[in-house]
Amino acid sequence: MQGLENNARVPDMLSIRNLSKSYGDVQALRDVSLEVPPGMFGLLGPNGAGKSSLMRTIATLQDADSGSIVFDGIDVLADKDRVRRTLGYLPQDFGVYPKVSAQDMLDHFAVLKGYVQRKERAEAVQALLQQVNLWEVRKRKLGTYSGGMRQRFGIAQALLGNPRLVIVDEPTAGLDPEERNRFLNLLAGIGQQVVVILSTHIVEDVADLCSRMAIISKGQVLMSGQPREAIGALRERVWSKLVSTAALPDYQQRYTVLSTRLVGGQPLIHVYSEAPPENGFEPVVAGLEDVYFRQLRSHGNAAAHA
Amino acid sequence: MLAEILRFELRYQLRSPLPWLIALLLSFLAFMAMTGDSVQIGGAIGNVNRNAPSVILNILGTFSILGMLGVLLLIAQPLLRDADLRTEELFFSAPLRKGDYLWGRALGGALTTLAIYVIVALVMVIAAFMPWLDPKRVGPFTLAPYLWNFGVLIVPNLIFIGALLCLLAVATRQLLLVFLGTMAVLVLWIVAGAVLQDIQHDTIGSLIDPFGARALDRAMRYWSAAERNTLLPDVSGLLLINRVIWLGVSAAMLVATHVLFRKQRPHARKRKRARAEADVAPVQLRAVVVPGADARSFGGAATFRQFLHQLAFDTASVLRSLPFLILLGLGLVNMLAGAGLSSNRFGTTFYPVTAQMLRTMGGSYQFLLYLIVAYYAGEVIWRERDARAAEAADASPVPNWLPLLAKTGALFAVVLVFIAAGVLASIGYQLWHGYTSLEPGVYLGGAVIAALPFGLMAIAAVFLQVLSNQKFIGYALFILVFALQMVLLSMHFEHNLYTYSGMPTLVYSDMNGYGHLLKGWLWFEAYWYVFAALLLVIAAAFWVRGAAPPWRARWRQAMGALRGAQGAAAAVLALAFIAIGGWIFYNTNVLNEYLPADVVFDRQASYEKQYRKYKDVAQPRIVDVRADVDIYPQERRAEIRGHYRLVNKHDAPISELHVSMDPRARLRVTAPAAMQVVVEDPRLGYWIYKLAQPLAAGASLDFDFTVERAERGFTNDGMPPSTGGGDLRSQLNYNGTFFNNVTMFPHLGYNESVQLLDRTERRKRGLGDVPRKAKLEDEAARGSIGFADADWINFETVVSTSADQIALAPGYLQREWTEGGRRYFHYEMDRPMLGFFCYLSARWQVRRGEWHGLPIEVYYDAKHPYNVDRMIDATRKSLDYFTANFSPYQFRQVRILEFPRYATFAQSFANTIPYSEAIGFVADLRDPEDIDFVFYVTAHEIAHQWWAHQVIGADVQGASMLAESLAQYSALMVMEKEYGREHMRRFLKYELDQYLSSRGGELIEELPLMRVEDQPYIHYNKGSLIFYRLREEIGEDNLDRALANFIRDKAFQQPPFTTTLELLDYIRAQTPPAKQSMLDEMFAQIVLYDTKVVAASSKRRADGKFDVHIEYEAQKTQSDGVGRETPLPADDWMEVGVFARKAGESERTERPLYLQPRHITQNKGAIDVVVDAEPFEVGVDPYNKLIDRNPDDNRKRLE
Repeated sequence: MQGLENNARVPDMLSIRNLSKSYGDVQALRDVSLEVPPGMFGLLGPNGAGKSSLMRTIATLQDADSGSIVFDGIDVLADKDRVRRTLGYLPQDFGVYPKVSAQDMLDHFAVLKGYVQRKERAEAVQALLQQVNLWEVRKRKLGTYSGGMRQRFGIAQALLGNPRLVIVDEPTAGLDPEERNRFLNLLAGIGQQVVVILSTHIVEDVADLCSRMAIISKGQVLMSGQPREAIGALRERVWSKLVSTAALPDYQQRYTVLSTRLVGGQPLIHVYSEAPPENGFEPVVAGLEDVYFRQLRSHGNAAAHA
Repeated sequence: MLAEILRFELRYQLRSPLPWLIALLLSFLAFMAMTGDSVQIGGAIGNVNRNAPSVILNILGTFSILGMLGVLLLIAQPLLRDADLRTEELFFSAPLRKGDYLWGRALGGALTTLAIYVIVALVMVIAAFMPWLDPKRVGPFTLAPYLWNFGVLIVPNLIFIGALLCLLAVATRQLLLVFLGTMAVLVLWIVAGAVLQDIQHDTIGSLIDPFGARALDRAMRYWSAAERNTLLPDVSGLLLINRVIWLGVSAAMLVATHVLFRKQRPHARKRKRARAEADVAPVQLRAVVVPGADARSFGGAATFRQFLHQLAFDTASVLRSLPFLILLGLGLVNMLAGAGLSSNRFGTTFYPVTAQMLRTMGGSYQFLLYLIVAYYAGEVIWRERDARAAEAADASPVPNWLPLLAKTGALFAVVLVFIAAGVLASIGYQLWHGYTSLEPGVYLGGAVIAALPFGLMAIAAVFLQVLSNQKFIGYALFILVFALQMVLLSMHFEHNLYTYSGMPTLVYSDMNGYGHLLKGWLWFEAYWYVFAALLLVIAAAFWVRGAAPPWRARWRQAMGALRGAQGAAAAVLALAFIAIGGWIFYNTNVLNEYLPADVVFDRQASYEKQYRKYKDVAQPRIVDVRADVDIYPQERRAEIRGHYRLVNKHDAPISELHVSMDPRARLRVTAPAAMQVVVEDPRLGYWIYKLAQPLAAGASLDFDFTVERAERGFTNDGMPPSTGGGDLRSQLNYNGTFFNNVTMFPHLGYNESVQLLDRTERRKRGLGDVPRKAKLEDEAARGSIGFADADWINFETVVSTSADQIALAPGYLQREWTEGGRRYFHYEMDRPMLGFFCYLSARWQVRRGEWHGLPIEVYYDAKHPYNVDRMIDATRKSLDYFTANFSPYQFRQVRILEFPRYATFAQSFANTIPYSEAIGFVADLRDPEDIDFVFYVTAHEIAHQWWAHQVIGADVQGASMLAESLAQYSALMVMEKEYGREHMRRFLKYELDQYLSSRGGELIEELPLMRVEDQPYIHYNKGSLIFYRLREEIGEDNLDRALANFIRDKAFQQPPFTTTLELLDYIRAQTPPAKQSMLDEMFAQIVLYDTKVVAASSKRRADGKFDVHIEYEAQKTQSDGVGRETPLPADDWMEVGVFARKAGESERTERPLYLQPRHITQNKGAIDVVVDAEPFEVGVDPYNKLIDRNPDDNRKRLE
């Protein structure tokens, strides 16, 4: 860390060190260490990778077996209440009371977040509902909201009290493309001075939004850094080819197949190779998806799906 | 396909724990009901076998209703499961007919339920073989009652419930609404039960109960023990109609279900959502600037405001929820129905006084509010989790205790709203009935007192929910804890110190308020609230935020949490709990004796074992009583300095005095001084003194003593410790002290009245058969009356009390004065009176009347003026009749004194009649159609001034007939003069019902009237019926002459005392020869009739008259003591009647066209009569003058 520069504020930094957690025989987190600077941080990993465990632990809702988490000088695992005062959390599969209006529900959350003065609370609730564009429908029961509206309500709830640490767990699952776009736009609007951790299994979410990222699988951090750099590292090392279904197993045996996608009913494979492979392969511009699968493959994750 | 769905469903159900849990719970209850007395469902009492068919019917019948709540999940859930689990499309897209799916699922649930009942039935079969059961009370095993039950109750009820559940499930698609629908049916069943209590409404009550249990009750209501042990009811009459009706309803519901069931799910909600989305314009990007970042505050006051907000938020959610509103509605309906029906057994209602309304509210809420509190504890605690909003809320900066306390508070609010609604409804009910003396203070206190125990339940339920961290496990634990407490209670672990939410009795008396009962109640309440607070602190430590860690980690976490301030709070609460517990223990177990029922039984047993051998030791008799009695109402203390003059009325000298005394009072014998103590046993209350000089025959002796009785502190059950005998528990009260010499004065000789009478408990303690009264023919026993140590005494007393109260005792007031701030009253009786006297002290109003110059005084509470004049009037009319027909009144005054509702009777002492506030003072007699039982009870008590206070029988069988049956007859005559014969018929119908329905509950042996051994249903109810019929048969003049002669010869008699045999001689002398044999049937046998009009027809004749043809059946049987019957030949004069009545009018307006006694000598026959006008109805014994087992079929309308 650099020294203090005059009175300038050190940007908040979330620092996770050697975090481990197991449920009986299942190791959910293995020695996870991450440095998360302000801005949007993507946490990418397949289902069951331990993302939610990590997110819940940062959000003070789960204890670790060992390791530490420090945010802005606060020991997250020990001083939960202080973290909670500066935390915004949108849990995975966030639900609402179906029979309560958005305004009442957000008002309730605002009280829990410490807005005990009626006037200030009303202002905060109004600003956030306008922010997420639910102001027009604030009187409506949450039960009548669509999935996208609920997630927007969820982010409004998370942003109550100007949190400096925002955790958003799998927010785009189940949203249709339009809803997803709207939601990501909203997330992008959160200030750059805030630590925002977005966990997802959708590569595009991270590609579209995050300046930094980490890939996690089976409780382990496989890589962390800037997506752009990670993609740069794969330059001219990813190749694609349309193959026949019958030949697919053969390719999978001979090459490091990153992904298989059907194009017009025929498998299109992406292969990682430092040198050009056999004829018929064409170089492709690597994407974050290739980075993701490359990491999973190289760490022996056999789940080959895209 | 149906078979496949069914097979799948059965497998699914049998692999889930729920059916097994229900089976376990019901089996447990059934086992307890069959083998013990703590769960009383079956009615296996007295001579009814543990496994009697009637018991099996009752238990399984009850379970077919109670099981409903569990069955709900087994039948309704399969139909809703696919919608819940979102698997319905899978099924509905399969090539499957809807009927196969629907009925396969439903049938699977129904068969599982049936299997549960089979298991319960098996457990019941096995339970009857448990080795600790009294083998005399276990009959041989028969399959028939089980088959009957499954055929008539369980399967039809299952079909009904199943059909109802299916219909609700299909129509509402919400488990909760299904649940509420079922609750509504349950309320219908409860209402049917309340309706049925009054025999005026028993037909409707039998029919509206969808489960047939009420109709079953009614069918077996008059069964004797022998019948209960052997018979099964015929499926006929109301029972059959009930079954047919409700099976029809079931069929209709099944058809409706089939029609309503659709394989598509409703899309209403989806459409609405889509519309909502379309409404919203695209999001505009804007920088996030949430104002008021500094407006947030934490800790201290802010936390408190957060708490209030959360409380309001959760409370509102419950109060707005549909089930709450529906349950509240059910509760209010139940309560108002209860208020309308709260009556005594004569169908007369009470004034809706506030205390009565509060009692009704308590009774009708009890079950419902426990359910609501337990249910909403799960709902409120897991509200966030159920809505999947828990993690967001959990991550907010609030302490753990905040949601916990707020949610507990919300449950309190629910209870308060329930009770407030009940209070408002009560006030509305009062005003609607024109009752305007509202008592806001009583309501307020009553509401708080009613609410507090439910608060404890709420906290227990919350604690179990938090600890289990799983809604349904929390529910199961709640049920388990309370089932366990029930088991402990049945094992006589009765102390409220270890029974969660255990409280002493708290009775509100208009006279005495909550009285001394409040103090102990509040201490126990504080004790359990401190404990509950401790539970909450522990629950806060175990409160899970986010994902629940495994148990060990949770435990570590909780222990960690309990180290800080929370731990200190827990420690303080634990200390307070122990301290209050210590204080309570000091009161209940040190100042008072803690006496669970089994210990009381032990004492009764040892009293009998040690001292019964002295039962026949000759003792002198008390002839004079003088006593100074000081009553200290505020201290609940009384001091007595007494003097007896004892006379040896035996032929031999007496060398030992056997003194017995209620052990709750402290006795000191001061004279004669020179006596040697042989036995001193204050614990059981027995002393034996050896006299210095034996008391020679005919000689007398002064016996002086002091007695002190003080109620100190408070007891475990609120009332003073029980001795096992007697019902007058709380005698020394702040306002309304009432005691008599049985408990507060020493007696000579062994006291038979405290012996243990329960057969099972005797057997356990190695006591022999239940001790019985001396036989009627036992001449040796005729030396004494019920009070063994005295017959006629001279009585004089000075009684003092606090300055604001009046103190009373038998005798006439000689002088009244005040001394040392206390009031003194000197009473003296100017002639020998029965050795049975009482003392009372209270703040009373006094109303005076007179009868030919003789003063009549009623001492009543200021709140109860309603019926005082009626009591005076009844007293006058009673004196009129009794002096004209029996003998002169021996006293110069009549006084009626109100006492608090801790006992509900009136009792006649010489010129002094204490009368409970609970029976007559608040009866609402404004409707002239109602039976005026205040008039009746008053007349009955006045009659005792003759029957008991002039003539008293020897202490042998039949003694209570001489006192009670004759008082009943006398009162009936006074009442008939006042209200007419029609009123009497209705009154006697209640007496008949009471007699017939009590026979099956006989504990030992039903005896003929003249041999009655203190069996109330015989000496009161049968006594009324027999004497009224006797009056009809031989005429009032003859009967009264017999009684007058009897009094003339036997009044104020010295030993040997009279018996029923002697009375019968007097009656026989006034009975025509033809009816002599009838006397024998009435008094010396148990004879039952069953008369029935089978068919009736009439034809208009040419001369305008009508030929009426009546076909009847008349059965007559003789019963033994347990109800085994043998037929008797018909040979009775029965009234045959033909009545005219306008269609649509009540029986009261009917006019007899023909009413003559006819000699019935055949079991079957026909009678033809000619009447002048068009007949409406005919009857054989139409007024039920005979003891008829089916009194309702004696009349028949003409077709």
